[in-house]
Amino acid sequence: MRRYLGKAAILLSTMVVACLLLAVKPVAGQAPAAGAKAPAAAGSGGKVATPGEFPPYKPPHTADGKPDFNGIWQAFVTADVDIQDHDAQAGPHPDVMGAYDAWPGGQGIVEGGEIPYRPEALAQKKANAEKRMVVNITSDDHRHDTGDPELKCYMPGVPRANYMPFPFQIVQTPHVIMMAYEFARALRTVYIENDKTIPEKPPADSWMGWSHGHFEGDVLVVDSKGFVPYSWFDRAGDYHSDALHVVERYTQVSPYHIMYEATIDDPKVFTRPWKMSFPLYRRMEKNIQLVDFNCTEFVLDLLYGQYSKK
Amino acid sequence: MARYRGPLWSALGIASAVLLCAPAFVAAQSSATTSKAGSAPASNSAAQAANAKSAGSGKAWVMPRTADGHPDFSGYWNQLTFTPMERPAKYGNREFLTKEEMEQVFKSGVRGSYDPGAAGSEDRYGGELFNPDSVDYDAATYGLSPWQNGIQPNPRTSLVVDPPDGRIPPLTEEAKARLAKGTRPGGGFPYVVDDHHGGATVHADNARDLGQGTSCVTQSGGPPLTPPEYNAGVFIAQNTDSIVIETETGSEFRVIPLTTRPHVGANIHQWHGDSRGHWEGDTLVVETTNMRPDHTYRNGQPDTEKITEYFTRTSAGTIEYKFTVNDPATWTRPWSAIIPLSASTGPMFEYDCSEDNNDAVNILAGARADERKAAGKPAGPISQK
Repeated sequence: MRRYLGKAAILLSTMVVACLLLAVKPVAGQAPAAGAKAPAAAGSGGKVATPGEFPPYKPPHTADGKPDFNGIWQAFVTADVDIQDHDAQAGPHPDVMGAYDAWPGGQGIVEGGEIPYRPEALAQKKANAEKRMVVNITSDDHRHDTGDPELKCYMPGVPRANYMPFPFQIVQTPHVIMMAYEFARALRTVYIENDKTIPEKPPADSWMGWSHGHFEGDVLVVDSKGFVPYSWFDRAGDYHSDALHVVERYTQVSPYHIMYEATIDDPKVFTRPWKMSFPLYRRMEKNIQLVDFNCTEFVLDLLYGQYSKK
Repeated sequence: MARYRGPLWSALGIASAVLLCAPAFVAAQSSATTSKAGSAPASNSAAQAANAKSAGSGKAWVMPRTADGHPDFSGYWNQLTFTPMERPAKYGNREFLTKEEMEQVFKSGVRGSYDPGAAGSEDRYGGELFNPDSVDYDAATYGLSPWQNGIQPNPRTSLVVDPPDGRIPPLTEEAKARLAKGTRPGGGFPYVVDDHHGGATVHADNARDLGQGTSCVTQSGGPPLTPPEYNAGVFIAQNTDSIVIETETGSEFRVIPLTTRPHVGANIHQWHGDSRGHWEGDTLVVETTNMRPDHTYRNGQPDTEKITEYFTRTSAGTIEYKFTVNDPATWTRPWSAIIPLSASTGPMFEYDCSEDNNDAVNILAGARADERKAAGKPAGPISQK
């Protein structure tokens, strides 16, 4: 009996070990069975991409040794409606527009969720939101007192231009970085060369700001001031003053993504600086280019109807 | 006006001397930087700033180039010109002015910029705009004065260089009929209707009647690039793949790919069309298609009008900008013009048109007030507050 059991044990253990060895198949070079999940290609890490996580990435450089941001980019957040968390909602005239003009819900892009308004400024934001559709164009500056400038196809300002639901093109040269926006054909010039003929301080106020850029390693940092106080951050009435100071950081995290972050500093409106952040996606359609969205032609009656012949 | 009767040869001799000596007349041609092909150029705007200042140092100018060796047009330019589009009759068939004539046109132009009807400004635009009764504003309040913005004297008698008589070819019969139906002429103020009896009425029922410019739908950019009387700045940003041309009036821009990528499909129409650039030696050639039917150059026929532009940097201070208009449905033959771009200094400011369009408010409100007055009612407030 002992002799039989000993041989059986050896046989059994040998069989177990053999089975274990046979069950561990080499991954490389093996075609999956039909319907089975394809194993990852050799060396890829084998994991489905996780939102919020990017493996380390070094972007290509331009001929003058800077990270290359050339391309057409677009955000896919709904921050233009509201930079904070928001439900979907009917648009302004659902009886006519139905689902065409319903606004999507979305998660906010404000880091930490709260916008640190000064108390009186928060009241202004709420007033803005209530009157966002009011249009009363006059021939003085008070034309900008009420209503969302986006409705009027005015320039979107910064950083709203970067999260409008339209693409924009970055053209990068050794002297400047141009950001050309499809929405309302807005344009930003970011001075990156140490050119003494270009003033450091904004020589005049503008809707799209006065921007100086520099590189910190592979990160593009853009510092902007000199904004007129008329642009809004979204349709929900979030706004700023002429003291607005925006510092943006553009970091390429893959061949197809820029992680974008904007720090908003405006002591007239907010109690402290705060940040918005979201990814920008490279538009990858083969012959992608900007297509006109010169919405001024669509708003002429909205703007000037009160002065038109009846 | 009396025709010049001087011998042709001496006129040619003078014209040649003007061409050869022209660099001595204009701002310095020296380059503040040199640049090796293939290396990133040093500051182009610094070079241009140096060139815009006084006397030359005698150094030879070297063309700045992008990393792939093509000419680099980056920087600030100004397209303001005092040369008329078509050759005035008094110059006969001369393509070039004498040195004295060139100086006179330039002085006239500068004088007329401040005061369009002033004595001494008669030669500006060949006298096209001379009006001693003019109440036009001083254009220099809206932008750099001509002595500040880098504009240089132009030795040509007209911007049109082909046909050789310096005049735009005749319209075809079809175009005459098309335009007689009331197509809005390019430029000008379409809501001001000349009564051909020394007066004019305003027809401004709504913002569309004001025209594309005054309603701030589009104000500049072309193609082709044609300069207004002020705010004629042009900013160019260029890398190996694209050239961005920003025109000051309206802050409009064109992004022109320097690739062989096909044009966008025929069902897409753009205010500045769809452009593709390629190099022929050191000349950038830009071909544009897909123009909007309601925004063709000089009311060309949208299906047939082709505009080709040629950019050639001829010196530190000048880009020779030439365009050819080819539209057999509108003109009896193709024609071309050269409008130089002069090196200028930056920055170029954002131009907010629609955001601050007081003209639209005031012209429309004024027209409504006139109607009320004509109907015997009180005019009411013109400028709404």
